[in-house]
Amino acid sequence: MIEINNVSKSFHGKNNAIDQLNLVIPDGKIVGFLGPNGAGKSTTIKMMTGILPIDKGTIKLNGLDIEKQPLEAKKTFGLVPDQPDMFLRLKGIEYLNFIGDIFNVPAEIRKERIEYFTKKFSVYDALEDYILTYSHGMRQKIVVTGVLIHDPDVWILDEPLTGLDPKSAYILKEMMRAHADKGNTVFFSSHGLEVVEQLCDAVAIINKGKLIFYGNMDELKAQYQTDQSLENVFLELTSDE
Amino acid sequence: MNNTWLLIKTMLKMQYSNAGKKGSNLWLYVVAFIFLLPVSIIYISFINGFIHSLYSGLQPFGQESALLGILFLGIHLLLFIMSLVTVLSAFYFADDIQSYIPFPFHPYQLLIGKAASPFLYLYVTSAIIFLPVFFSYGSAGGESLFYYLYGIILFMLLPIIPFAIAAIILMFMMRFVNVAKNKDRSKVIAGISSFLLIILFNIFIRLKTNSNEMVEELTVIFQKQDGLLEMVTVFYPPAYLSASALGDSQSWLGLIYFIAMLALTAGALLLFAWLGQLLYLKGVLGLNNSGKHKLSKQKMQRKMKRRPVRLSYITKELKIIFRTPTFLMQCVMQGLFGPILVVVILLFDFGTGLSLEFLDTLSDKQILLLLFIASFIIISTNVTAVSSVSREGKTWYTNLFFPLEPNQVLFSKIAASWIINLFVITLFFILSLLVTVPVVVVLIWLVTILTASWLTSSFGTYLDLLKPKLNWTDEQELFKGRFIGFIGFLIQAGILGIFTWFLWRSDAVENLYATSLILLGLLLVCIFIVYKLIDKKINSNVFQDI
Repeated sequence: MIEINNVSKSFHGKNNAIDQLNLVIPDGKIVGFLGPNGAGKSTTIKMMTGILPIDKGTIKLNGLDIEKQPLEAKKTFGLVPDQPDMFLRLKGIEYLNFIGDIFNVPAEIRKERIEYFTKKFSVYDALEDYILTYSHGMRQKIVVTGVLIHDPDVWILDEPLTGLDPKSAYILKEMMRAHADKGNTVFFSSHGLEVVEQLCDAVAIINKGKLIFYGNMDELKAQYQTDQSLENVFLELTSDE
Repeated sequence: MNNTWLLIKTMLKMQYSNAGKKGSNLWLYVVAFIFLLPVSIIYISFINGFIHSLYSGLQPFGQESALLGILFLGIHLLLFIMSLVTVLSAFYFADDIQSYIPFPFHPYQLLIGKAASPFLYLYVTSAIIFLPVFFSYGSAGGESLFYYLYGIILFMLLPIIPFAIAAIILMFMMRFVNVAKNKDRSKVIAGISSFLLIILFNIFIRLKTNSNEMVEELTVIFQKQDGLLEMVTVFYPPAYLSASALGDSQSWLGLIYFIAMLALTAGALLLFAWLGQLLYLKGVLGLNNSGKHKLSKQKMQRKMKRRPVRLSYITKELKIIFRTPTFLMQCVMQGLFGPILVVVILLFDFGTGLSLEFLDTLSDKQILLLLFIASFIIISTNVTAVSSVSREGKTWYTNLFFPLEPNQVLFSKIAASWIINLFVITLFFILSLLVTVPVVVVLIWLVTILTASWLTSSFGTYLDLLKPKLNWTDEQELFKGRFIGFIGFLIQAGILGIFTWFLWRSDAVENLYATSLILLGLLLVCIFIVYKLIDKKINSNVFQDI
């Protein structure tokens, strides 16, 4: 479970990038996080994962406060950042091993998971190559595999499907569903409204740092008394006029 | 021309823009200025005195123009060596060229654009060395207005020829090296080759200089007007033409030399642009990073070993340093370059049976202190520690979402820098055995320098933590225009230098063991203080604020 309580954040003393955000992502659910560019999605994710300090409010992951118990909280989640361009001079296998060491994954389990996930994502044969030589999609797959090998309860994914080929995108979506069905939490930001509509149990829509809707698709349609697609509602909700 | 100018402006902006940088580096500039002001006054007055006395010594023999010859030859040589390094980094190591290639620019325009940043460095260097000597010579000889006019124009042209020569050599070399088709490997091969070139050049010059023959030749040369100038610049016309243009500035002859020099410079520039048009993109393009390797079952099994977090992190740091050509050159090779050059000089100056006679006049304590301060100065100039945090660039945030304690991250970074210093320390170790330093002194030195290496690694990491440079798009930018390493060096070398000098002079501490204990004690106190400073920073949550 992720609990975001009254969280605010501003940069250089300017207007609040995030303004008193309250959001609870329960176990067993996939929640899509939507918003236009610059709405505050990445800032929220960065605060949830300890990358940015929180100005006001608290964020708890599985009951662990990210600011007061950072190490324990960080062990409970896996993050797929929006840019998978990291550790480019390591080989794929070295990166995964590094993650395994950091999260203390036993060697046998590590080997089993690396083999399983990289074969599933069709990157096994590239494990001995430098990440630098990977395409964007392959980098994304390696980062996702890095999250999966330590099997965290909470998945936080920032634009996880960007750059993935259809087969890998399908596999990842299946995995997200299966992970949530096991009683875990999946929180992901996306600009792909169709994916969110099809995959998520609930959507949170943020605009200019404020949460403007949180609920499932039926609630969305009921609240705005419309039968329109998520795309139309989203465009209406986030328009400036 | 418009496109070339646009490229120059854009490329300079990319290198030196303050966009995205937090806070101001003003205080760093103030500190640097305070340190540099007295140094530059002393420097200029020293040069002035030196040139005046040389001038008055050589003038009666009609050989004063040799000073200008040596000046031009020396500065061209220095600019050539600097160009080798800067051309390599700007033209070939920087990956930003990929962003410009899709645009409709000629290769020569890209080349000129890329040359802008190295040229700034070359001008700064020329200004520091050339201008004081040039003005001192002018005042010593009471030179005419033409001397100053020609001199300033020649100063503006100074970097062109050495830069063009270095660039042409490297463009040919990279065209050849590029056969390997592996970007990183090509960069490393080219980088190491240019260091070797400099060392070989040094050896060549040393082999050529035979002191007995020189005395005989000099006697003949001194009998001829400007003979010394001709001897000094015989192999290198640009130095001869420049020096003659200034030396004969009051006559028509000077004007002819001056025009000849302008023509030569224009020729070098055209040759550079023409060869660049032909060779440059062929050397850069076609380089790729790929290389398919299959992972065998056995290899997979071997690689799956579970390691402690710190060890894993240190290994990651070292792998990244050794595999990133810019980091390898800056952090590892440059540190080794100095000591290797010293070994070469010693080998050639003292023959094979090495023994430094002056060592016999020193006590064991003094040998220890000398060895210690020399090796410390070299390791404290290493940039591994002062780039600990900055090397991560935009991926620094990964350290924040992984379940790692800040001190685990910093410890691993300090340890990585310490390990890299081991290369230099090993070289010094070999060197000290070559010059027959007593074994006990070597062993004690080893303990003190290994401790000092931890100090300089910790202090450098702390400095980088204070003002990291994460917003780079290319590794090259990370090492440009950063004073923090230099300031760190001044502080460390200053404190330990004064302390070593104090121990050297002190009659109270004569014993080798007492000296080493005091030195070790001081190092441990310094390490303790640096650790306290790092702790303070960690507690103020500096990690997230970077």
